[in-house]
Amino acid sequence: MAKAINEGLRAAMVGNNKVMMMGEDIAQLGGVFRVTEGLQEQFGPNRVVDTPLAESGIVGTAIGLAMRGYRPVCEIQFDGFIYPALDQIISQLAKLTARHAGTQAFPVVIRIPYGGHIGAIEHHQESPEAYFAHTPGLRVVSPATPHDAYWMIQEAIACDDPVIYLEPKSRYWYKGQVDDTSAGVETYRARVARVGTDVTLVGHGAMVSMLHQAAEVAQGEGVSAEVIDLRSLSPIDYATIEASVSKTKHLVVAQEAPGNASVGSEIAATMTEKAFYVMEAPVLRVSSFNAPFPPARLESQYLPDVDRILDAVDRSLAY
Amino acid sequence: MAQFTFPLPDVGEGLTEAEIVHWHVKPGDHIAVNQIVCEIETAKSLVELPSPFVGVVHELLAQEGDTVQVGSPIISVTGEGDEPEPDTGATQAVADSAGSVSQEEQAPVKNLVGYGAGATDVVSRRRRTQPAPSPQAAVEGSMVAPGAAEGGSVLAKPPVRKLAKDLGVDISAVTPTGSSGEVLREDVIRGAGQATVFKNLETPAWPENREERIPVKGVRKAIAQAMVKSMFSAPHVSVFVDVDATRTMEFVKRLKASPDFVGIKVSPLLVMVKAMIWAVQRNPTVNSTWTDEEIIVHHYVNLGVAAATPRGLIVPNVKDAQNLSLRELAAALEQLTNTAREGKTTPDAMSNGTITITNLGSFGVDTGTPILNPGEVSIVALGTIKPKPWIVEGEVRSRMVTTVAASFDHRVVDGDVASRFVADVASVMEEPALLLD
Amino acid sequence: MPYTDATLRLLGQDGVLVKDERVEKYHQAIAHLDEADFREFYRVMNVVRRFDIEAGNLQRQGHMALWVPSIGQEAAQVGSGFASRPQDHIFPAYREHSVAYIKGLDLVDIIRMLRGVTNGGWDPKKTNNFHLYTLVLATQTLHATGYAMGIGYDGACSTGNLEKDEAVMVYFGDGATSEGDTNEALIFAQSYQTPQVFFLQNNHWAISVPVRVQSRTPLFERAAGFGVPSVQIDGNDVLMSYAATRLALDAARSGQGPHFIEALTYRIGAHTTSDDPTKYRDEDELKFWQAHDPIDRFKSFLEARGVESSFFAEVTQEAEDYAADVRVRTLAIEDPPLEDIFQHVYTEDHPVVAEELAWLKNYTESFEAGAK
Repeated sequence: MAKAINEGLRAAMVGNNKVMMMGEDIAQLGGVFRVTEGLQEQFGPNRVVDTPLAESGIVGTAIGLAMRGYRPVCEIQFDGFIYPALDQIISQLAKLTARHAGTQAFPVVIRIPYGGHIGAIEHHQESPEAYFAHTPGLRVVSPATPHDAYWMIQEAIACDDPVIYLEPKSRYWYKGQVDDTSAGVETYRARVARVGTDVTLVGHGAMVSMLHQAAEVAQGEGVSAEVIDLRSLSPIDYATIEASVSKTKHLVVAQEAPGNASVGSEIAATMTEKAFYVMEAPVLRVSSFNAPFPPARLESQYLPDVDRILDAVDRSLAY
Repeated sequence: MAQFTFPLPDVGEGLTEAEIVHWHVKPGDHIAVNQIVCEIETAKSLVELPSPFVGVVHELLAQEGDTVQVGSPIISVTGEGDEPEPDTGATQAVADSAGSVSQEEQAPVKNLVGYGAGATDVVSRRRRTQPAPSPQAAVEGSMVAPGAAEGGSVLAKPPVRKLAKDLGVDISAVTPTGSSGEVLREDVIRGAGQATVFKNLETPAWPENREERIPVKGVRKAIAQAMVKSMFSAPHVSVFVDVDATRTMEFVKRLKASPDFVGIKVSPLLVMVKAMIWAVQRNPTVNSTWTDEEIIVHHYVNLGVAAATPRGLIVPNVKDAQNLSLRELAAALEQLTNTAREGKTTPDAMSNGTITITNLGSFGVDTGTPILNPGEVSIVALGTIKPKPWIVEGEVRSRMVTTVAASFDHRVVDGDVASRFVADVASVMEEPALLLD
Repeated sequence: MPYTDATLRLLGQDGVLVKDERVEKYHQAIAHLDEADFREFYRVMNVVRRFDIEAGNLQRQGHMALWVPSIGQEAAQVGSGFASRPQDHIFPAYREHSVAYIKGLDLVDIIRMLRGVTNGGWDPKKTNNFHLYTLVLATQTLHATGYAMGIGYDGACSTGNLEKDEAVMVYFGDGATSEGDTNEALIFAQSYQTPQVFFLQNNHWAISVPVRVQSRTPLFERAAGFGVPSVQIDGNDVLMSYAATRLALDAARSGQGPHFIEALTYRIGAHTTSDDPTKYRDEDELKFWQAHDPIDRFKSFLEARGVESSFFAEVTQEAEDYAADVRVRTLAIEDPPLEDIFQHVYTEDHPVVAEELAWLKNYTESFEAGAK
C-alpha cells in the first residue's frame, strides 16, 4: 500500500503542478514509511518540502498556500501527533470554505498514518477518525487496499474540499493488485468487499482485512457474511449499507477506535433509523475499550480481534 | 546442548518481510552474542542483525536473495554447554509456531513485540470452555420475560410490527408464541387470516338454570328452513384441494401497499372471489339453479358471501360481480360485510344469489363441507391460510398453504365439472396472474 | 563547521583544558570537582554507551518495537545530569538515558516501555524526580515550566540556600524547538521568572531534517529573543556541560529566572532503530563528529592527568557486565496483566472502566487457556 500511495502521489503531482507535499522527513528520507520516496528527486524542493517540526505550523501554512492557489498535501508523521494541529484543522480548515461563503476553496489534504497492530509505542497507534468525522466541513477517508489507496489519494487531491486521508499503517507493507488503467474508485461509495447473505460486516482501513478473516471463519460455520469497506467516514455511504442490510437483516460494525462516541456509534444510530423495520437485531459494534491505548503487549486484547467480531455475529443472529 | 532458532524480527515497526542480502557466518562458525550474522534489506533500509545466541552455527535457514516473512526462522544455532541461553521470547514463538505448523490450521504466531503487524494467513476461532459473555455495556435481557410486559405492552421486533400494520392486524390481539413471549411473524400472519367480526368472547360462567329455551323464529327459523331444504333436496358432494397460496398472500400485500387501494380492505377472500368468477366463466354450469323441469345457467354472478352476524348466518350477495373491477369488488365486499355487521342487510341483497363463498378461515378452521345456499348449486369454502411444509423445486420449504373446499348439487354438477371448477379456483390462488387471462 | 565563536568549551578535543577568559567563571564552577568525580563521569558515559549498544542489539533481536540511541550525546547528558542537585526536577524528552542513570532510574524500565510493557514505567518520586519520557515532542517544556511556576508559588526557591532551593531542568532537541509548545514554555517561563533551565541538546538532526530547516540562526540566540539568558556550549565536553548547567541551575534557583543552554552535540546513531541515516546524512559529517567523540576526549584528559590504564580496562569490563545483566533481565521481562488496560485510566472509580474490565475478564476466561 505504501508504494501504491507513492504512485498515486506521483500521478497527482505530474497531473497538476500546483500539487505539493509538505511534512517532516518527506523529502530526502522519503517519509518514515517511505510513502514519499523519490518524490523530491523528481519534483524538486519547492514541491516536496521538509518542514520544521511543528504540526500546527504545517497545517496552518498549508492553508495559506491553498489561499495562494496551491494544492498542498500535508503529512503528519503519526496519528498521535495530529493534536497540535487540531486548532488549524477544526477552527480553520473545516470552516474556511463556509466563512468565505464559497468564494475560495481550500483543497488541503492531510495524510496521517493511523491504527495499531504493529507493536508500536505510545502515540503511534491511535485511531482519531471520530474527531474529524464529527467536524463538519471536512471529508474523512481511509483506504483498505493498495488499489483503493492509489486512486483515493488522487481523488482526495483533486477534491476541492479539505480531506483527511487516513492511512492504515499496519497495511503499508501488504501487497495487492493495483489497476492503474481503471477510471478510479468512487471514494464516497462504500465497497462490497465480499458478498454474503446472513450478516453485514462494516469496517474501514485495516479492519477490512480482519473482517475478511472473520467472514472466512464464519463461512466454515455455515454463516455467509457480507463485508463492506466504508472507504469514506465522512460522508458515509448509507445506501450501500442499506442495500446490504435489507438482504441480510443483521449488521455488525467493527473499528479499532474506542467505541464511545465513535464513527461506529454514528453508523449504528443512523442505520437503526433507516432500517428499523428491516433489521432482525440491533446494530452491534465491536470496538476497542474505552481506555487509553495500552502498552503494546496488551494491544491484541485491547483491539478487536476475529473472535470478538464472530461473537458479535453470533449474538446478532441469535436475536 | 540446546538448539535455538532466530526468527526474522520486525526491525522497523510493522514490516512484514525482508530480503537476506548477505550472510556473515556459515555453518560450523562459533559465534558470540551480538555478533553480526547477516545483513537484511527491508522496505525501509539495510539492517545488520546481531545474534541472540552464543554457540555454533548449525544451519542457515534462508539463502542470500531469499525474501523471508517476519517471524520465520533464518538461522539455527547449537548452544554451547557452559553458557546456556535462556528461552527467549523469540525462541518460544518459534517453538509455538513449529508445534502449530505440524497441526494444520493452527492460529498464527502471536504478535510479539518486534514481530510485525501480525500474520494474515490461516485464522480460526479460539476454542472456548464457556459460552461468550453478553456484550460490553449491554442492557441485559432486552427481551423481557412474559409477565414483565406490564400495561399490556407487546413484545415484537420492528419487522414484525410493520407486518402487523401492513396486514391490518391488531398486534395486541395476537397470541405470541415466541420463546420470550414475543409476537412472531407467524403469529401475525395467523392473526391476519382471522376476521375480527366479533370481539373475542370470554368464557362465561355456567348459568344457574339447567336449561335455556330459545324460541325458533326470525332469522334462526329461516336459516333452519333453508338448511333443511337445501340439504335434503340437493345431493351434496364436497371436493377439496390443498394449494400453495403464497403468491396470493404476496399479491394481497402488494395491493395493500398500492395507492389505488388506500382505505380499502384487501384480503385473500377478494382474490378467491375473483378466482371464482373466472372459474365460473370456464365452468358455467356451477353457476346455475335447479328446477325440476330445467337447469337455469346464469350468465351473471351474484356472488354471495356468508356473513356471520349477531343474529345468525346470512348470505348477502354482490350483484353482477363479473362486471366489477378488483377495486370495485373489494369495495363492494367491504360494504357488504359492514352492512351485515350492522344488521342492516336488505332482503333484496340476500336474494337472487347465484353462487356463494363462505370464509371458514376467519375462524382458523382448515376446511369444511359447506351446505348449499338454496337456489344455488355450488358453494366454495375458504379455509385458513397458514405456513405449512410444501415441496418447492424438490425441497421442503415453508409456504402459505390453504385448502379450497366446495360443495355441489350432484343433480347439476358432476364430479369432473366439480373438480375442474375447484382446480381453477385453486390455480388462481396459487398464481393470481392467471386472472390476467 | 558546527562550532561558532560563541561556542564555549573547557576541554579541547585533545583533552587539554582551554585557556580563555570567556570561560573563566566556568573553570570556577568545576573547581570543586575532584579525581573521583572525573572517574565517575567517565564510568557513567561508558556504562550508558555500552547499555545503549546492547539495547540496540536487543531490538534487532526482536525484543523491542524500537530503540532510541543516545550514542554521541553522553557528555552533554552526564555533565548536566551531575550538575543538577538532588532536589531538582528533571523533565526529559526520550533520549536522556545518561541523565536517567545518574538520577537512579533502572534503565531496564526504559526497555520495558519500548517493549510495550508499560507506557511510562516509573514513578518520578522514586527516581529522584526524573520524570517520565515524553514521546510527543516538546510537550514536556510546558509541563516543566508549570512545575517551576509551582516551585515559585511554594516559595521553595530563592531562599539563598543552594542545598534546598529547587529548580527544574527540561531537556529537548533541536527539532522540538519548532513546536509551538517550546516557544510558549519560554514565554511563560520568562513571564513568571521560573527557576528553570532549558537544556537544548542540538544533535543536529530531527530524524532526517537538519537543524538549518528548524532555524537560520543559532538556537541559543532565539532564547535571548525571549528575554532568557542563554549560552551555547560544546556539548561533547563533559566538563563544560557540567559547568554551564551548574551555574545556570544555581542562578535559576536563586531567583534569577529561567536560563537556556544550547549544547552542540551529534546524534551518532539513527533517530531510532526504524530509521536509516545513510539515506540522508553525509559520511564526512559523521566522520567529523566521530572524531569529536565525547568519551575519547575525556579519556585523553584523564590519561593526561595520569589515570592508570587498568582503570579504563575496569570500566570497560564493568560496562560489559552491566550490558550482560541488562540482556538477562530483558529476556526475563513478563507481559503485563490484562488489568493494566484499565487499572489507572482514572483515579476515582468509573462505571465504564469497571464494566469493561469485568467483561474482558469473562471473555478471556471463556477460552481455553493458551488458545491462540
